[in-house]
Amino acid sequence: MKIEEALAKLEEITARLERGELPLDEAIGLFEEGLALAAAAKKDLDAARLRIDQVIEQAKGTLSVEPFDVS
Amino acid sequence: MNDQRVYTVSELNREARGLLESGLGEVWMKGEVAGVSRAASGHLYFSLKDSESEIDIVRFRGRAPVLAPIEQGMVVLVFGRATVYEPRGRYQFVASLVQPVGSGLLHAAFERLKEKLRLEGLFDPAHKRRLPTFPERIGVVTSPTGAALHDILAVLGRRWPIARVFLFPSSVQGDAAPAELVAALGRAGSFTDDGAPLDLVILGRGGGAAEDLAAFNDERLARAVYASPIPVISAVGHDVDVSITDFVADVRAPTPSAAAELVTPDRAEIADSLQRTAGRLESAVTARRTAAERAFRSSLRASLVREPRRLIETREQKLDVHVTRLLGFRRAAADPLIERLHHAEEVLKLTDPRRPLERGYSITHVVGSNVPLRSASEAAPGCEIETVLAAGRLRSRVEEVTET
Repeated sequence: MKIEEALAKLEEITARLERGELPLDEAIGLFEEGLALAAAAKKDLDAARLRIDQVIEQAKGTLSVEPFDVS
Repeated sequence: MNDQRVYTVSELNREARGLLESGLGEVWMKGEVAGVSRAASGHLYFSLKDSESEIDIVRFRGRAPVLAPIEQGMVVLVFGRATVYEPRGRYQFVASLVQPVGSGLLHAAFERLKEKLRLEGLFDPAHKRRLPTFPERIGVVTSPTGAALHDILAVLGRRWPIARVFLFPSSVQGDAAPAELVAALGRAGSFTDDGAPLDLVILGRGGGAAEDLAAFNDERLARAVYASPIPVISAVGHDVDVSITDFVADVRAPTPSAAAELVTPDRAEIADSLQRTAGRLESAVTARRTAAERAFRSSLRASLVREPRRLIETREQKLDVHVTRLLGFRRAAADPLIERLHHAEEVLKLTDPRRPLERGYSITHVVGSNVPLRSASEAAPGCEIETVLAAGRLRSRVEEVTET
């Protein structure tokens, strides 16, 4: 899931849980889902490494995409 | 002669003014400054002459500032229109720009182009687009060997490595630069990755002399920026440098690093907000659990009194489910609420009427009543009783009652 979607979903879950009207098993289910989402998003954020590609026009109208060597 | 029109003085002056202004339009003129005077009003009056001719020049206060003091004998370029000062019938030139010749030329051309593009609407705020909050694909149009790229990548790597970067290399100075930049920006605009266009493109270069930044004042590039289908961030030189692309772009960044900051969220801030949300989740679920436990205890008390077996079975089953799930939480072990739920489970087990039955005891009640018999006196000969065993039930009739 994209970070953006995970954040939106997490906010929705938290808001539902905070309203406090849910049956216990549903509340616990949401809590688990929320924690899992937060943990996954945090993991994605920590693990991300910037990927850089170079886009060059080879012949007229044809582009090549190749990894760019940063060093 | 009679049918020829007779003008009044003011009519003639007005007509002459109109002819001059519309006939010549705005022009550049070069000449040598003579007879400078600054009026108390702030307007500047001087004459401009060459070897054969002379003209009065007015530059009204509040127009573009004069970059250098205008002095007698200086050669300057003026931009404006020839007109007639009607009350005096005096022919003069109203200058909107006055530039010393030489160093000012580049700047004069800059101002001229800027004004032209502004009038065409290329700087229109309504045309400017908002940047996405979480960009996934970031284009960069710059030199592959320049300091700008290095700075941009450093910031993106720190703040938002979630994004992928697509570099569209181009030279950024020299005669070929404007055309290369236009081509690279065009490629960025039409580029797709997995069918998705770029979220935005950073167009820029590091600091340099005014001449080195000239490519970013090119009219073709300005128009390409305006036509770009994706948002463009102009990031040229240092924060004191201003280029035409800065005005046309959707966002102007003072430097390339600042551009990379402007277009990305900071992952450290997002991690903090995730932490805060997890905290909110925990307080919410704790509150819900406390409430549920309270409700459970009171209904447990009631059900033990009323209908021991069936209710206890279902409650216990529910409790098992909750306890199992709660035990799955990472932090749950130390949670006093969990301990209390365990305790409640133990209490349930001890009070479960089926336990003794398995060891051979039984429960007897009068048919039609749920109250277990504790004393023989509670039954009378002839009444029907039911005995609940660990497996199955017996129905019997009382023959005799012996009280102890």
